[in-house]
Amino acid sequence: MSEAAIPRVKWTEDLIALVAGLLVFALALPNLAGFDLLGWAVTTSVWTDAGKGLGTVSKTYADLGGVPALLFTYLALLGVLSLAAKGLRLPVVKFAAAFTAVFAIAYAAWFIGSFAHLAAVTPADQKKFGIDWSLKLTNEGGYIIALLFGLFIANVLPSFAEKLKDAVRPELYIKIAIVILGGFLAVTAAGKLNLASNLLLRGVAAIIEAYLIYWSVVYLIARKYFGFSREWSVPLASGISICGVAAAIATGGAIRARPVVPVLVSSLVVVFAVIEVLVLPWVAQTFFSSDPLVAGAWLGLAVKTDGAAVAAGGITDSLILAKAAADGVNYQPGWVLATTATVKVFIDIFIGIWAFILGTIWTNYITPKPAGERTRLVEVWERFPKFILGFVATFAITLLLALYSPPQIVQKLAPSIGEANNFRVIFFLLTFFSIGLLSNFKKLWQEGFAKLVAVYALSLFGFVIWVGLVISWIFFHGVLPPTVS
Amino acid sequence: MTDKTLQEELNKIGSEPLLPIEKKLIGWSLGTGLVLLVILGVISRLG
Repeated sequence: MSEAAIPRVKWTEDLIALVAGLLVFALALPNLAGFDLLGWAVTTSVWTDAGKGLGTVSKTYADLGGVPALLFTYLALLGVLSLAAKGLRLPVVKFAAAFTAVFAIAYAAWFIGSFAHLAAVTPADQKKFGIDWSLKLTNEGGYIIALLFGLFIANVLPSFAEKLKDAVRPELYIKIAIVILGGFLAVTAAGKLNLASNLLLRGVAAIIEAYLIYWSVVYLIARKYFGFSREWSVPLASGISICGVAAAIATGGAIRARPVVPVLVSSLVVVFAVIEVLVLPWVAQTFFSSDPLVAGAWLGLAVKTDGAAVAAGGITDSLILAKAAADGVNYQPGWVLATTATVKVFIDIFIGIWAFILGTIWTNYITPKPAGERTRLVEVWERFPKFILGFVATFAITLLLALYSPPQIVQKLAPSIGEANNFRVIFFLLTFFSIGLLSNFKKLWQEGFAKLVAVYALSLFGFVIWVGLVISWIFFHGVLPPTVS
Repeated sequence: MTDKTLQEELNKIGSEPLLPIEKKLIGWSLGTGLVLLVILGVISRLG
């Protein structure tokens, strides 16, 4: 066969996330047969003595020590992500240098976030660490610290931020994390299948609602009250109402908007997502700790971009569980995050369908193409986010293992998937730091941006957040996570 | 895009009145959403 006849794989962030996420998941599975391939990775415990904060995720490798584990984890990620950079045709050396800084700063944030005065939650924890006060942020407060570090660098040290830009890839990091997350959620779901399937159905219902109601109202506001053209209104409505960057780009492409339009909308999406991440998890903890899954669904519907939403779901999971634990109710961890992730995954699935619907309307009625040229159904597949296949695969494989394996395998399933999940936490962390680095708030004051900011702020804070809350309440009120003794 | 070109870009947006097909899209989308909200809400409460 000639070389020209061999189809070349076109590597995209989406495809790389699928492969990298599945690789981490696959490396975790041999542990079921006693071959621990990921146990050397670094993990951080809540600490008062910095020397004891780092360790390995598995006791098998405990002798390795925390700092070497951190170094090996960095080298492993550097290797895999440098290959990814090569696939994306980025300058690999520059990427490696930038990633080194990104990893170092992000992990430092995580380490600081695990300091007992910041992270310890219950009075028992405080007693254990010999402290009399704590901000009770849980160790997931490290995400917020990483976000703040990123914001500081982006807004105060923009030239340094520019040097890091090759490794600032929140969409790549969060997609890898979501593929790995599938296995973790399946372990959580296996014990409560009825609740998990109930959650899936409610998630679908919530998403149908969000699409139909959100999009039409935001489009109307942008067109009628702010005078935006169709070319601007479609990406704006999709970015504000559906799922930020991906939706703005997909629907912008579907109506043949110039690429610059969805790109500009996307930059706004990220800035507003940061504001939401900094505020909404604490609002959710304050008002919805008695209805945790309402909070989870609400974040999935209200926070735009996969990275910000799923990560906010993770923080809210910890915050609500901490508050409930202080009140004597111990919810099983993971269900709030599972709800946010479910809602977000369904949103991503529907992006392709919505882009197809808009493409069909635009092609046939608004900017008709030449005769014979029609929007093709295959475009739905082309726009389908492939990393979701990875999420479904890790979820399904883990669930099947949990339900149909012999007890000695099932017993090892949670710790094995936990080793993969340890990498999910690191990818979340890289996502948070990257989102912060991309958020240059000066943009909001850029001349000419005011009208875009106004329509975004009005729609998001005046409509999307509240309607999302009502929809979440309708579908998830009274559905509680299981408790643990 | 520079600040100046962004401003020019946004200033260039001319008047584009809502077409009947856009009104239909908004109406159907919102109407279907509200009707389904009631139906799916009731079903989820019964389930």
